[in-house]
Amino acid sequence: MSSLRARLLASLLGGVVLVGAAGGWVVYRNALAGADAFFDYHLRQTALILRDQPVEYLLSQQIAPADAAYDFVVQVWTLDGARVYLSRPHTELPEATTLGFSTVTTAEGRWRVYGAQALTRVVQVAQPMSVRSQRAAELALRTLAPFALLLPLLALLIWLAVGHALKPLARLTGLVKARRAHSLEPLPQTPLPEEVQPLVAALNELLARLNAARERERDFMADAAHELRTPLTALYLQLGTLARAGSEAERAAAMKELGEGVQRAIRLVEQLLALAREAPRQSAPHEPVALEPLAREIVAELIPLADARHVDLGLGTAQPLTVSGDPDALRTLLRNLVDNAVRYSGDGGRVDVAVETDGAGRATLVVSDSGPGIPPAEHARVFDRFYRRAGTGPPGSGLGLAIVKAIADAHGATLTLGNGADGRGLRVVVSFPAGPAG
Amino acid sequence: MRLLLVEDDAMIGEAIRAGLKRDGFTVDWVRTAAAAAPALATEPYELLLLDLGLPGSDGLSFLKSLRARGTPLPVLIITARDAVADRVEGLDAGADDYLVKPFDLEELAARIRALLRRKAGRRDPHLEHAGVVLDPAAHRVTRDGAEVALSPREFAILELLLERPGAILSRGQLEERLYGFGEEVESNAIEVHVHGLRRKLGADYILTVRGVGYRVRPTP
Repeated sequence: MSSLRARLLASLLGGVVLVGAAGGWVVYRNALAGADAFFDYHLRQTALILRDQPVEYLLSQQIAPADAAYDFVVQVWTLDGARVYLSRPHTELPEATTLGFSTVTTAEGRWRVYGAQALTRVVQVAQPMSVRSQRAAELALRTLAPFALLLPLLALLIWLAVGHALKPLARLTGLVKARRAHSLEPLPQTPLPEEVQPLVAALNELLARLNAARERERDFMADAAHELRTPLTALYLQLGTLARAGSEAERAAAMKELGEGVQRAIRLVEQLLALAREAPRQSAPHEPVALEPLAREIVAELIPLADARHVDLGLGTAQPLTVSGDPDALRTLLRNLVDNAVRYSGDGGRVDVAVETDGAGRATLVVSDSGPGIPPAEHARVFDRFYRRAGTGPPGSGLGLAIVKAIADAHGATLTLGNGADGRGLRVVVSFPAGPAG
Repeated sequence: MRLLLVEDDAMIGEAIRAGLKRDGFTVDWVRTAAAAAPALATEPYELLLLDLGLPGSDGLSFLKSLRARGTPLPVLIITARDAVADRVEGLDAGADDYLVKPFDLEELAARIRALLRRKAGRRDPHLEHAGVVLDPAAHRVTRDGAEVALSPREFAILELLLERPGAILSRGQLEERLYGFGEEVESNAIEVHVHGLRRKLGADYILTVRGVGYRVRPTP
C-alpha cells in the first residue's frame, strides 16, 4: 500500500477496531461476572422458595413459565435419589445432587446448579451456563454497537483529515509539475509542514547543485564557441588568401598556412573534448598508477615534436613511485604539460621530466623547461580556460593548463608553478596526496 | 594605402596582412595595444584595424584612449564579440565600423575602401581626374576609357595622388604610405614607379615640383 492516505486510514481504523474489541472483551467479562452473580442469586432464591413448598404444589403449578427465557429447570429428588419432579424435559440434565452451587457438564453443555435440601427431598434448580454468556454477549454488543455503527463515519473523518494534512504535498507536486524543464529555481519552503521541509530543503540543494553545474556548462559552451571563432576566422581568411593567390609560390604558401590553420582547429577541438570529458570522469575508478613508466611513455611520445623544434627533451630523476588515479587522465595531464613545455621552450631549449618525492614525502611529477617562464602575477590565471598569455609565442588553444588543472583536481593533486633550476624557464610540480597507494 | 593591424592571433594576423596586400594595402601588424601606440605615433596610417580581445590592454580601452587624445584615424573593429551590446559599445567608443569574426577578406577590403572614401569626403567609389579613372575595388585604371595596366606600386602611388588632386606629396611621404615595417625601400624606387606612370598615362600627367614632390596635372 503506497498511498499515505490509505495507509493512515488503515492503521488508524485498525487501531480503533482493536481498541474497540479489547473494550468489548472487557465489557463482556464484566457483564459475565455480573450475570453470574445475578443468576446465582436467582437460582438460590428459586431453590429456597421451592424447597418450602409441598411437592403437590409443584406438580399442580407450572412454575417459571415467565422465566422461560432464563431456562430454569427444577428437579425434586427424594433422599433415595429418585426424581419425583421435573419442571420440563431436557434431553440431558445434570444428575448430581450436590447441595449448594455447583457447575455440571452434560452433553448439552455446562449447567449451573443449586441444590437445597428439605426434610425429605432435595430441590435442585439448574440453568444452562449458555444463558449467562448470551446475556453478557448481548450486553457487550449493546454497548459496542453504537461504536461499530460510527466506524464508517470515523473512517470518513480520518480520510478527510489526512487529505487535508497532505494538501501541502499536493500543492508542492503542483508547483514542481508546473515548472518548465529548465527552471531550476528553489522551491518555496515556507507554507509547508515541518515534516516536508527537510525534503524540500534537500531538493533545493540538489537544484542548486544542478543549477551551478548547468551554469558551468553554459559558460564552457559559450567560451568554447567563442574560442572556436579564432581558428575558424583564420581558416576563412587563409582560404581567402589561397583563392587570391596570383602565383604558384603564393598558392603554395597559402596552402601551407591553411593546413596549419586546420591543424590548429583540430587541436582546439581535441582539447575541448579532453576538457569536456574530464568533468564527468572525476568519478572514474582510481587504480594504482606507476608514474615512472608513464613519464617514459609520454617523453617517448613527444620526442618527435621536440625534435621538430630542436628541443632537448628527456627524463631526469625517475623514482619508482605509484599513485592512485586514472591512468588515461594522468597520461593526458603529463602530455599537456610536456607539450606546453616543448612548445614554449623555443629553438634549442631543454625540457626535463622527473618523477620524485618532495620534502613532505609526496609523489610528484615535475616538468621544467628553459622557456620564458610565467611571471608570478599570472600564475593563478594561466589555469583558466582559454587564458592566453600576452606577447609572442606559438598559438595555443588556451586549454592545455585548464585540462591539467581539472585532472589534478580530480586526483586531489596540487599544482605549483615556479622557475626552473637556473632561475629561468617554467617548472610545474604536480604533487599527489600521500595515500595508501603513494 | 598603409594600414595598422592590431591582432594577437598569429594566423589571423598573417592572413589579413597577406590578403590585404593583394588588394594593394600595405599592412603593418602588431599584436598588442602597447605596440600599436608607438607605431601610430610615428607612421602615417590611413586606417586602424583593431581586434578587441587583446592580451594585456583591451582593444576597447585602447580605442577610447585614442579618441580621448583626439586621433581622427578611421578605426575598424574586427572581433569575435558579436553581441549587439558589444557592437554598440565598440561604435560608441569611437569605432567607424565593426566587423565580426569570422569574416570574408573581400568584405574587409570593401569596408576599408568605404571608410577611406568617407575619410576623404568622397561618395563616388572611383577616383577620377583629367581623363584618368581609378577603381580601387577592381584595381583598374582607365585613361580616356582605355584600360591601362599598372603594377601594384604604380597603382598605389596614383591612388595617393588622386585622393587629393591638388596636393603635393613628397617622395618621403609616398614612401611612408607605401612601404610597411621592415620593407626595403631602394633609394630611387619612387622615381622608377613615377617614371612608369608617366610612360603609361602621358608624360605630363604627373608633374614634379622641384625640391617638394609630385602632383597630378591640374585640370585645364
